[in-house]
Amino acid sequence: MKTRDQEYREMFMAEALEYYDSMSRHLSELERNPSAGPALNELFRLMHNLKANARAMGFTDLGEMAHHLETLFGLIRDQQRTFSGALTRVVFAGVDAMGAMIRAIGANQPLPDAQALIENLDRLVRGEEPVFEEDEVAETDEEAGKKMELSDLVYIQVKKLDNLLNLVGELVIDRDRIMTLAQELDNPALLATAQHLFRISDDLQYSVMDARLVGVGVLLNKFPRVVRDVASAEDKEVELILSGQDVQIDRNILQIITDALLHLVRNAVSHGLETKAQRQQAGKPLVGHLTLSAMTERDDVLIQVRDDGRGIDTEAVRRKAVERGLTTANIAATLDEQAVWAFLFEPGFSMASKITDISGRGVGLDVVKLALDSLGGQLRVESELGAGTTFTLVLPTSIAVKGALLIEVEERPYAVPLMHTDTVLALQPEQISVVGGVLLTHFQGQPVPLVPLQLLLNDEGDEPLPLATRNDVQGAQQVLVVNYNNRRLGLVVDRFIRQQNIVIKPLSKPLDTIDLFGGVTLLGSGQVCLVLDVPALTRLFITKRP
Amino acid sequence: MNKRILIVDDSFYMRTMLKNMLTDAGYEVVGEAANGAQAVEMATSTSPDLITLDVILPDNTGLDVLKSLRQVQPTAKVVMCSAVGQEVIVNEAIENGALAYIVKPFSEEKVLEIVGAALQNDAEQTA
Repeated sequence: MKTRDQEYREMFMAEALEYYDSMSRHLSELERNPSAGPALNELFRLMHNLKANARAMGFTDLGEMAHHLETLFGLIRDQQRTFSGALTRVVFAGVDAMGAMIRAIGANQPLPDAQALIENLDRLVRGEEPVFEEDEVAETDEEAGKKMELSDLVYIQVKKLDNLLNLVGELVIDRDRIMTLAQELDNPALLATAQHLFRISDDLQYSVMDARLVGVGVLLNKFPRVVRDVASAEDKEVELILSGQDVQIDRNILQIITDALLHLVRNAVSHGLETKAQRQQAGKPLVGHLTLSAMTERDDVLIQVRDDGRGIDTEAVRRKAVERGLTTANIAATLDEQAVWAFLFEPGFSMASKITDISGRGVGLDVVKLALDSLGGQLRVESELGAGTTFTLVLPTSIAVKGALLIEVEERPYAVPLMHTDTVLALQPEQISVVGGVLLTHFQGQPVPLVPLQLLLNDEGDEPLPLATRNDVQGAQQVLVVNYNNRRLGLVVDRFIRQQNIVIKPLSKPLDTIDLFGGVTLLGSGQVCLVLDVPALTRLFITKRP
Repeated sequence: MNKRILIVDDSFYMRTMLKNMLTDAGYEVVGEAANGAQAVEMATSTSPDLITLDVILPDNTGLDVLKSLRQVQPTAKVVMCSAVGQEVIVNEAIENGALAYIVKPFSEEKVLEIVGAALQNDAEQTA
């Protein structure tokens, strides 16, 4: 696990080596042209930065050397000293000594002693002549050559990595196309080459994805402060427990969920956890517990926000949902806990009775939901009244490649991200009932509404979907059960093609306004395949159900 | 709302450390500039409440940058950052409208104290 101190150290090293290289370059320039103004200014700036950074890291000796050199260069810049004679020799020795110190820091070794050099620099600053030891001779070229060293660390802009990932995406699509062609042509040499290309591009893809991974810790470690602030504003005592900081995830995914996680944590402290008085009354320890943990589950990363607070009052949410007109009292009464909790993620739905500074400003859990939808992630909630609530963010490790199920409707292929699929069913007519114009089946003891996918895809205007009748169910039905916000929906499709990893590309205009599609992918056959947006399909079904 | 801060420093390490300290404390770091030109551009586009400004920058002296910043973003509070040895420039900076200065190497407490006080000053002036 990389702690923040380690990160600072790596950054310091990378920058210090860079400064050292620049100093050496500018010194050579200055030696050729002692009055080169820009080189002088630059040397002064580099010494100054190295001094400040070294002192911040606690490398006093290095900071001291840089400080002395900075002072001397200040004098040279102000033309009180000239870059010539014995001064040149001391400056070069000083910069070399700093290089040696930086390398010693990198190798975790004690810093070399430089007292004699410091004293000579002091003499030069005072306007005296430096004193050289008898055995002090210029370094041989061989020795200098050994000390050339580049940093092991490269800083890359995320933009460049994004670009690389896009290119790999394109490559993978062409690779699949070549693979299909090779199989069709049945040429052994071509097939062998295609297979080799397949393996290499797979490796390349995972290497690029790997380069974008960061530890979840870089985000989680920001929370102790947040929790402390919110808790003290609410006069609560909260113990925050962090775990799984070293779980790896794509940097952009972490960026996208930052606000969502911040919201969940603030919410947990200000609404989830009770006041000290309430906790005492409930016989709970006065100090509330908040756990922020990350873990990997198959290809996904789970981030959990768990509190031991009051839990969700399911009946209150049920009432509020009816009040808000999100459902009718009759339907609300039949909904199970999970279905009721799903209302918490509706836009503008807030259970806060009073608005505090920290949360409850009309920004609700829907923001969290939206962030996860945009990533193709899931939000799960578990709660027990009086015992606490757990929110789980289910995130893909990488945004590049997603597992998808390919289906066919009206002779066209569509891809459905596996993140949203629960199961596939082949249903006989007798397993399907018609209730209030909606097809219904039971799966794992729960009623699941069914809808022919083509009805949703061809839907236009504001009319509700046509009423379903028994006549709609002829023969076995292929059903893909999708899951969004704890709501299951069975999509009736013509056939299942196969499961495949796909690279999703954004839709180009004007198609990007059609919100039923999350993007487009190319199949190995070269065929264009639209990627279905399960949240959008579910929302469409809910608003249009007869 | 969280106060918005622009960090101007030519050292990546320094910027990162400052950014971590400030974001941990709940401030929003709206930009990180590594030189004077970037600083002026970002100050214009992000309208920060406060700017931390390194005294010595590559393409310009911090003092010139300070003057430009005061022109493009007169409402932004400016706090100078400097290692010891640059007191003359810092004093001149204060005369040119900088509110305070942070001496490198800095502690988290000191940074938050100075930034908080500079922003407090802001609240008093607008109250």
